[in-house]
Amino acid sequence: MSNSTNKHTIFADDGGGRRQLTLPWGQTIHMCWGNIRNRAGRFMLIFIGIAVVVAFFMSNLSYQGMVDDLKASAGTEAQSRLNQAAEAVRSDAKEYEAARAELEDAIHAQAVLERAGFYSDTISEKKQGDQQVWLMLLSGILCLVGITNTMLMSVTERIREIGTLKCLGALDGFVIRLFMIESVFIGLVGSLIGALVGYILTLLQVGMVLEFSLISFSQAIQTFFKGVPLAVVAGTVLTVMAAVYPTYVAARMKPVDAMRVEI
Amino acid sequence: MSNNNRREIVRTQDVRKVYRMGSEEVHALQGITVTIYAGEYISIMGPSGSGKSTFFNMVGGLDKPTSGEVYIDEVDIAQLGIFELAWLRCRKIGYIFQTFNLIPVMNALENVSLPMVFAGVGADEARDKAAALLTKVGLGHRLNHRPPEMSGGQQQRIAIARAMANDPAIILADEPTGNLDLKTGHEIIDLLTELKEERGVTIVTATHDMKMLAASDRVIWVTDGKISRIQKREELDIKVGSISGEEA
Ligand SMILES: Nc1ncnc2c1ncn2[C@@H]1O[C@H](COP(=O)(O)OP(=O)(O)OP(=O)(O)O)[C@@H](O)[C@H]1O
Ligand SMILES: [Mg+2]
Repeated sequence: MSNSTNKHTIFADDGGGRRQLTLPWGQTIHMCWGNIRNRAGRFMLIFIGIAVVVAFFMSNLSYQGMVDDLKASAGTEAQSRLNQAAEAVRSDAKEYEAARAELEDAIHAQAVLERAGFYSDTISEKKQGDQQVWLMLLSGILCLVGITNTMLMSVTERIREIGTLKCLGALDGFVIRLFMIESVFIGLVGSLIGALVGYILTLLQVGMVLEFSLISFSQAIQTFFKGVPLAVVAGTVLTVMAAVYPTYVAARMKPVDAMRVEI
Repeated sequence: MSNNNRREIVRTQDVRKVYRMGSEEVHALQGITVTIYAGEYISIMGPSGSGKSTFFNMVGGLDKPTSGEVYIDEVDIAQLGIFELAWLRCRKIGYIFQTFNLIPVMNALENVSLPMVFAGVGADEARDKAAALLTKVGLGHRLNHRPPEMSGGQQQRIAIARAMANDPAIILADEPTGNLDLKTGHEIIDLLTELKEERGVTIVTATHDMKMLAASDRVIWVTDGKISRIQKREELDIKVGSISGEEA
């Protein structure tokens, strides 16, 4: 306080000194979640936007990953089975039969992959890959702009609420925390939905373009655990990035804004 | 005004406020000097655009004057840092708004607890006190309802309970009855008066509704950003009487 020699009665009981002027995490999260629920309609659009982008991202990556895996395993499997078969011819006819069946599977997989054009021209394949990257970038940027815009709308709607919080003593930091947590929520939920959709799309894509029988259980699991966490993290980071500017706008609002009658 | 030893709680010294909008200047306040004493019920009256809200924002530490000083309990609020200002708003001033301004996603209990949690009061203590305050304003049976489920009058009662949460020295209410019908408006004013009598809190309200003046200890009339006159309650009673007389 400016000069403590005065016998200020208002400022006297500063006792505890600098207390928090913010909310505990539990209540902050409760507030964010309530706000998302309150604007479910609008946030639905954001959810769908994030989900679509993440699904696209996820299915692209996973699909490529699965095909690469198939290519590698079909090749090496064929070779190893061939060796095994040669050995088995000498020992056991039954084992020979089994090895031959697996060899046929591998040859079949290679044939399917070749028919789908995966062994053909590597240059056009690369070009296609580049195009995919551009598409992903573009959709990412579009999504970013969309989320920023929607969150800005939400900030404008909440001018009075934010101003009131500041009248009640909230510091800028609290407002920042409020909006950041909100965006993490939105990002997590949106990308989780997107990642799951993307995963299903990947399986469908592999199944349609190639053959469902080629997808082994272990490979499906592996794809899931490789792709979903990555996609969720990427989607959440994207959402939080999009929320930075609206959060800044919200944090800079003044307590006087609580007095506005018209919005 | 039980133990009123005329302690100054708010003092403004030649407060001026100029809003610049492009090349145009609006002189919203043109030198306001006034002293408000602890435990008073003050009404600020004036036509629309006279600068009531602007004056309010200065007294409430929500905005800074272009020139002049505002002292709250003899502390020049221009000298306060960001944290001290927030602390002042949190602990020492209770705000009541025309538009109620409750947090829509929180129920009545959470809304009233909010300023206490900001002030560092423990969760249980805050809940208990919030429940007591809500009972006091007559909403003890609706603790878990959220603002959108309540009438304007009920919302304003929650807002009053919230304003009282940290036992502020001053309650600032800018047109607290502006969005309410006459009867509900009177109930709100009665509630404020009761709190003043009971807890000795200083109440400053702005209004342009003559009927809301009866409770005031003093009325400060503002025209074009200047104080045109200050009336005490004794002088006022005749006036209010004659006004309601004219209407009847
Ligand atoms: N943020 C602002 N920017 C520019 N001018 C403003 C601003 N706030 C208020 N003014 C101007 O200052 C003057 C006083 O406004 P103020 O809101 O204080 O009036 P008031 O007495 O509260 O009116 P009302 O009874 O309608 O609420 C008006 O001319 C208004 O246009
Ligand atoms: Mg006003």
